[in-house]
Amino acid sequence: MSSALNLSHEPVTKVKHGKIAMWAFLASELMFFSGFFGTFIVLRNTNYEVFKHGAHELAWPLALLNTFILIGSSLTMAMAIYHLERHNNGKFRTYLGLTILGAFGFLIVKYFEYSAKWQHHLFPGQDEHTVFFSFYFLMTGFHAMHVVGGMIPMVYMFFKSYTKSAYPHPSKVETLGLYWHFVDLMWIFIFPALYLIFP
Amino acid sequence: MSNDHGKVLPSYMKVFATLCTLTLLTVGAAEFIHFGDLGPIPGYSINIFVGIVIAVVKVICVMYIFMHLKFDHPMLRFFVYVPVFLFFVMSFALNFLEKWTYTR
Repeated sequence: MSSALNLSHEPVTKVKHGKIAMWAFLASELMFFSGFFGTFIVLRNTNYEVFKHGAHELAWPLALLNTFILIGSSLTMAMAIYHLERHNNGKFRTYLGLTILGAFGFLIVKYFEYSAKWQHHLFPGQDEHTVFFSFYFLMTGFHAMHVVGGMIPMVYMFFKSYTKSAYPHPSKVETLGLYWHFVDLMWIFIFPALYLIFP
Repeated sequence: MSNDHGKVLPSYMKVFATLCTLTLLTVGAAEFIHFGDLGPIPGYSINIFVGIVIAVVKVICVMYIFMHLKFDHPMLRFFVYVPVFLFFVMSFALNFLEKWTYTR
């Protein structure tokens, strides 16, 4: 064969394979969270009073703060990708650093939330709290694990950007960005579902 | 890198401002406003409906601008629409169908 076959792009759409793979992964992640949401809604409607009582124990102002932190970190992630694509390594590092700080801040707020629940004996196994707080810890816990999962490659890229070769892979950061925005998207649904929709 | 025009950063800021505003609106609509019953539809269902609609608008903003779907190939967009659509349908349908089926 005379001309080399370019395997880095999907031939029809010209989208990078890594990006398509990330979207496929995010679609499977959506199904993963859909299972939680589906069972949450069904059980909520059959055990309304229990869920209502549980939801009123949650501190929505803390969750609101976390929402702003995540939205802000989504913005800084998008800015980081923008600057890396334009070979502006300094600004890329600044915005990626801010994104990591946002993720860290989210986990700190989560820690305070969880420890308050623990002190008030609001966790599964405590009589009437079991059903609601199973969902609370499962959904927010898996979400927090996703936050940690996103932080690991971010920290790697951040430190790599200090080396001589900087971080020369905008498409990889863009793919990580997709994941990070997805973490934000899931929080957009978890926040009202757990904290807000109980009159 | 299909977004090489000068409008990218302002559009990011607009999306950020929109998301913050809609977040406050979600809290306002859920915590401080209680809709009255609308015929057979109970008021709290309208509260939930408003909450989901706001969440859907926020998700569309993030996907189109932050996740660059606006600038991507239409085939990739279609690939994304299907699972997202199913998720939206599930959030709406289960909220309402279940509510009217079960007694509280």
